[in-house]
Amino acid sequence: MHPRLARLILPTVLLGLTASACAASGIPADSTSEKRSWSQITDAAKGQTVDLWMYGGDQQGNAYVDDVLTPAAAELGVTLRRVPVADTKDAMTRILAERRAGSTDGAVDLVWVNGDNFATGKQVDAWRCGWSSQLPNMKFVAPDDALVTQDFGTEVDGCEAPWHKAQFTLVYDSARVAKPPTSMSSVLRWAQDHPGRFTYPAPPDFTGSVFVREVLYSTSGGYGQIPAQFDQGAYDKLTPKLWGALKDVAPSLWRQGRTYPRDSVALDRLYADGEVDMTMTYGPATLTKLVADGTFPATTRVLPLDEGTIGNASFLAIPSSAGDPEGAMVVANLALSPEQQAIKADPGTWGQFTVLDIDLLSQSDRARFDALPASDVVPPLDVLSRDANPELASSWVPRLDEGWRRAVLGSGS
Amino acid sequence: MTQHPTSSPRSRGDRRATRQLGGARLVAPAVLLILAVTGTALGAVVATSLGLLPLVGQPRLNIDGFTTLAGDLRAATQESLLTATTATLLAAAIGLAIATVVVRAGGGVRLVIGLTVAVMTVPHLVGAAGTGLLLSDVGLAQRWSGISAASWPELVGGRWPWATVLELAWKESAFVALVVFASVGRHYADLREVAAVLGAAPRAQWRRVLLPLAAPALASSSLIVFVYSLGTYEVARLLGRAYPEPLPVMAYRLFTDIDVAARPQAAATAVVATGLALLAAVMALPLLRRLGADR
Amino acid sequence: MRWRTAHQPRLTVIRALLVFWLVVPLTPLVLWAGASRWSGTVRLPQDFGFRGWQEALDAGVIAALVRSGLLGVAVALIATPLGVMAGRALGWRLLRRPALPSVVLLAPVVLAPFAVAMGLDVVILRLGIPGEIAVVLVLSVFALPYTTFTMRATYLGLDPDLEEQARVLGASARQARRRVTLPAATTGLATATGLAFLVGWSDYAVTLLIGGGQIVTAPMLIGSAAAGSGNDALSSTLAISASLPPLVALAVFTYAASRRRTAAHS
Repeated sequence: MHPRLARLILPTVLLGLTASACAASGIPADSTSEKRSWSQITDAAKGQTVDLWMYGGDQQGNAYVDDVLTPAAAELGVTLRRVPVADTKDAMTRILAERRAGSTDGAVDLVWVNGDNFATGKQVDAWRCGWSSQLPNMKFVAPDDALVTQDFGTEVDGCEAPWHKAQFTLVYDSARVAKPPTSMSSVLRWAQDHPGRFTYPAPPDFTGSVFVREVLYSTSGGYGQIPAQFDQGAYDKLTPKLWGALKDVAPSLWRQGRTYPRDSVALDRLYADGEVDMTMTYGPATLTKLVADGTFPATTRVLPLDEGTIGNASFLAIPSSAGDPEGAMVVANLALSPEQQAIKADPGTWGQFTVLDIDLLSQSDRARFDALPASDVVPPLDVLSRDANPELASSWVPRLDEGWRRAVLGSGS
Repeated sequence: MTQHPTSSPRSRGDRRATRQLGGARLVAPAVLLILAVTGTALGAVVATSLGLLPLVGQPRLNIDGFTTLAGDLRAATQESLLTATTATLLAAAIGLAIATVVVRAGGGVRLVIGLTVAVMTVPHLVGAAGTGLLLSDVGLAQRWSGISAASWPELVGGRWPWATVLELAWKESAFVALVVFASVGRHYADLREVAAVLGAAPRAQWRRVLLPLAAPALASSSLIVFVYSLGTYEVARLLGRAYPEPLPVMAYRLFTDIDVAARPQAAATAVVATGLALLAAVMALPLLRRLGADR
Repeated sequence: MRWRTAHQPRLTVIRALLVFWLVVPLTPLVLWAGASRWSGTVRLPQDFGFRGWQEALDAGVIAALVRSGLLGVAVALIATPLGVMAGRALGWRLLRRPALPSVVLLAPVVLAPFAVAMGLDVVILRLGIPGEIAVVLVLSVFALPYTTFTMRATYLGLDPDLEEQARVLGASARQARRRVTLPAATTGLATATGLAFLVGWSDYAVTLLIGGGQIVTAPMLIGSAAAGSGNDALSSTLAISASLPPLVALAVFTYAASRRRTAAHS
């Protein structure tokens, strides 16, 4: 009797557990605008502990948050805890699970996201919205700044607060590259003339993905030729040239294009070891330290392109399941303050470009930015982002990634 | 409880029945905990692969998760099986060699034991990083060996998953060695004395005494290594090529895809990997029982 | 003895090869941990120093190691006793139909962390189980195959009749187990406990996704360091820091065991 009863109880318990997980969460995301005043929010935030989930592979970023942002938040009564993740996608998995379970006291209060992850969260209403436009420090952000009002083509809608600006940058070793190419098509030509000395990370890696989009801009004759939102007709018209260009260059790539580095870290290692002569990054702020500590050769330089490169902004978002949203808003506002943005932009501290509009700042704040030391490797943002191209909508990204895997990598049913 | 020293058939049968009920009670806590946890996880994964637990939209029973990527699934399965089989064979052979050396208890054995345990404490992620630094085209091995970088074989991310297999075999050989040593341990010393007294040469001692003694532990630990290698993610991700990728790497890539509609495909990949491993376990169990029973 | 001395050279060579096999993949990490600058493709670092150790301290490695240790102990406390009981039942063939329980006991190895992330995290959140407890339970489940099958192999080498003879001679069931069987299974027990501890010590995926970031363990630090460029010194130092405590524990255990053995002999 005993084991037979157990054999009946167990499946029932399992079914019940799975059923409880089955019912999709019916709790709608908080999409109403934040109605409280800022002083009410700061009062509610006092004593809260904010868990900031952010990419932990950048030691300078970790040091900035631990040594500068956390004490500053403590002065406002908020305890900031940094949770390191190897990839923001790990944070997204947690947020999506909390959303599906309908948690209201989630473990993720604030997360550093870019357009891809923001769009994923938007698909399932995972973000708390209507709060970032109320932040006092948002007045220093240009209201018409396209990089800040839209995140990869998705309307921000007050669902995330801007934090840094970034520019896709090609990097080369001036000691090994005699005549650096000046446009994307000449980069591909250079790769063909120097077999085995160039490669790029395989999409869906973030950096490899934006490289493919850069090549698409180049083969399509500029970003103006491509509709910002995904359009199947445009895809069918424009991508054959893209895949053709990438397939033509493939035999001249590293390992004859049989395989590609799995992510930008792997490509950086190839570059640092001298196996390839160029690398690329979507976060040029890290270049200063990489050259300073000897990881990259001292002759590393940034490769500007005639047609400009893609630029974007990264944000701090609050999940709808966050347990300490007021504290998170206070931290996001603090991170947006001119003082913090100036400290963060110092190449010796972190080197991340500011999202603030210098013209909107007060005299003393402007002086803070003017006093910033220059980096040996990375030009200032206004130079780097000359002719900056906007990003395509995030609806393009998975299609292009999948198309690359099929056309160039050779995967597919 | 008093025991009758007589061994009438009925009391022997009673003892066996009591022992077997006691056996069920011994096994129950572990089995129940595992069933609760893995049963729920498996149920959720299978349901997701069949479209019943979508993140967006209504649940709809379908097998799109499996069919959309059938070709990729096949390639990934081949890659996983190749890696797991080779890694298991290598790990078993070297693990047995380590256990033999340790059990012989000569000089320098403490060093081997210490190193084996050290290897076990190193997480696979770190072992993979070290192996990558060692075996890449301009890795430490190439720099120290004097072979030019151009003629160095493609061990990392090459056509054959050499680096992945070597890293898995390296760490798992330590695991096999420890498990075999733990089960053989003391007994070997005594049995070896007996064999030596009876005039057996060392190699015969190894083949006739150590090998049968170690066989059950070797078999069960090899099965665990095979099944673990089917499901390992970090190593193949760091050291393998971009395509085809083993099942866990493919599952993770699809699971963290920007498009949440790729979740069923990720779950389908996980189901295939799990099914493979279960199949291997089920096929190997009779062999395990026979090895155990031979003693 | 005659055959022992004749065997020595071959055994030494094999031993040297095995030492080489065990050590070689760790060499780049050891070198990086002592390097403050290693550019390009030179054979050795240009500068030796403690840069990696300073960076590791800044990253909070000591607190992370403590948390890893507590997690490992918690997992061992659950997985070892359950594994001993199950291993005893399997190894001494106390089950009429051992096939099904054996498959179940092997199932957690089959599943692997990525499947856990896909299904369990939502359920655990729904049931309101605190993250820390959920992590320990799930990791214990992952450790159970190792403890069970280690103890199964151990019990296969133990004679069940010895315990029964002790019972015949008047010992209670518990006394017989404690005085007769368990002492003979010490090595196996130590291995099983060690394996369970290591499962908790070196886990990454479950701690991250189910623990909800409350538990920042050493593997989480290693994982995020390895995800960035130019962190070789840091990750190597973290790796070595994460490997030392279990080694120290083993050294202490071995020393204590040998002391006990000499005390017993004298």
